Amino acid sequence: MKQVLQDAAVVGIGRTNYMRKSGRTPTSLAAEACRAALADAGLSPADVDGFTCFDTGSSSATASAVAHAIGVDDLGWCLNVYGGGNIVTTTVMGAVTAVTSGQAEVVVAYRVLASDTRYGKNLGVVEVPGENQFAGPHGYLVPPQWFAMFAQRHQHEYGSTGEDLGAIAIQERLHASRNPHAVGKDPITLDDYLNSRWIAEPFRLFDCCYEVDGAVAIVITTSQRAKDLPHPPVYVLGAADSNRDGGSVVQYSDMTTMFSAGTAPKLWERTGLQARDIDVACMYDCFTFTVMATFEDFGFCEKGEVGDYFRAGRATFGGDVVVNPHGGLLSEGYIHGMNHHYEAVLQLRNEAGHRQVANAQTALVTSGAGPFGGALVYGTAATL
Amino acid sequence: MSPSTQPTVLPQSLPPQPVPDADTQGFWAATASGTLAMCHCTDPTCGLWMMPPLDACRKCAAPTRFDEVSGAGTIYTFIIQRQAAVSGYLDNLPYVVGIIELDEQRGLRLPGRILDIAPEDVVCDMRVQATLESLPGGDYVVPVFRKQ
Repeated sequence: MKQVLQDAAVVGIGRTNYMRKSGRTPTSLAAEACRAALADAGLSPADVDGFTCFDTGSSSATASAVAHAIGVDDLGWCLNVYGGGNIVTTTVMGAVTAVTSGQAEVVVAYRVLASDTRYGKNLGVVEVPGENQFAGPHGYLVPPQWFAMFAQRHQHEYGSTGEDLGAIAIQERLHASRNPHAVGKDPITLDDYLNSRWIAEPFRLFDCCYEVDGAVAIVITTSQRAKDLPHPPVYVLGAADSNRDGGSVVQYSDMTTMFSAGTAPKLWERTGLQARDIDVACMYDCFTFTVMATFEDFGFCEKGEVGDYFRAGRATFGGDVVVNPHGGLLSEGYIHGMNHHYEAVLQLRNEAGHRQVANAQTALVTSGAGPFGGALVYGTAATL
Repeated sequence: MSPSTQPTVLPQSLPPQPVPDADTQGFWAATASGTLAMCHCTDPTCGLWMMPPLDACRKCAAPTRFDEVSGAGTIYTFIIQRQAAVSGYLDNLPYVVGIIELDEQRGLRLPGRILDIAPEDVVCDMRVQATLESLPGGDYVVPVFRKQ
């Protein structure tokens, strides 16, 4: 698989500003990010013959509509993927596969979120079908509640604490303070964290990601074509997904773990790498606990050690691995994990400015939380 | 616009109402008649309990039916909902929601509110017992849990 993947590379990245209320439509935001990514790649919309995106059913900015919005009249390969953070790896790998299999030569993959889509609360819901019909009637329906359940069980079994979750929030916020693009740039202290209001105990405000409007796009093309483009290509060294227990956040068997308990062994086997080989870890962080569980699952440390690991400075510059140097979804902003791909590519190009991870050659990017998700490893040409 | 003659009920004052389907209607029919019943494989050598329900067993494909359960179980995990996030129970903050593992089978879980206990006294692995209660809105009966 490794050999085939290296026939494609990420050659362009683009994004909008992130803000609380943009007053803009999803299509407008997505078009801006896609144009920016193509310009960064030294390409134009006329070069594009593939488009993909993911959403959870609420966005009008379909791949065909966004391609059209940047001037593509006859789009070839087009894939709208249904899903959230769990499906980012799958979406990006769909683009890679389209290129390596010859279905398209230049593919844009994007995610857009606008003010019409917010996941933290749902005060207007009237009826709940599907599995939610058993949970919704109890006032249990939204992601902060789901993953607070996971955190509670972890605290029960492994003695992890709010202070441990706070260490993650504090570290990511400090990283964001070096990132002009971040929406949450003001550093926070442990007192700030502990005094922030309860959302769904054991989660406080600073355990939750920062929902914003914005879009991120990346451009993938053949490695052959990448040689003539302006930036050093970034390669996928391997990818893996795991969809467990039917994707149920109620029935998921071991809530002290996440999808990553299944994804990590596959990813390390496919890449021949291990946690200690990773320079930058863009860990999907819809909530602090998502980082805690997935970080353990990927083998960066033992169960229950994440708080100490972060407090000891091992997850930041000069430590073992830099976790979310951009500030993550917690502090840069919630673009559903697509911004993790932007950051990973920026770091591996050595273009991250004040937050550049020295000599970054490999980047783990995880996506998803709870029962399902994926991860891939990006590498520079030197890692091939 | 003429003023409405109907009393105004804000949607968010009621909790979300279930939408039964062909696979789940047996659960709701049972609670309405005063029984907590879960989806159960009819093959005696399999006998898998399933949640969410389905008309055929996910392991052996035999037909399933809804069989009464004891309603006894343990709290696998729980949250204390302290701010409004979902419609319903907003006059009752904070409220506790648990994921209850029923005694019938390891991993067979039901979500439900945990009542009549101070939130700070709830702990994982606490023994609880289900009872049935009308869901605000009037059309459905749901299981709720109390400390045994």
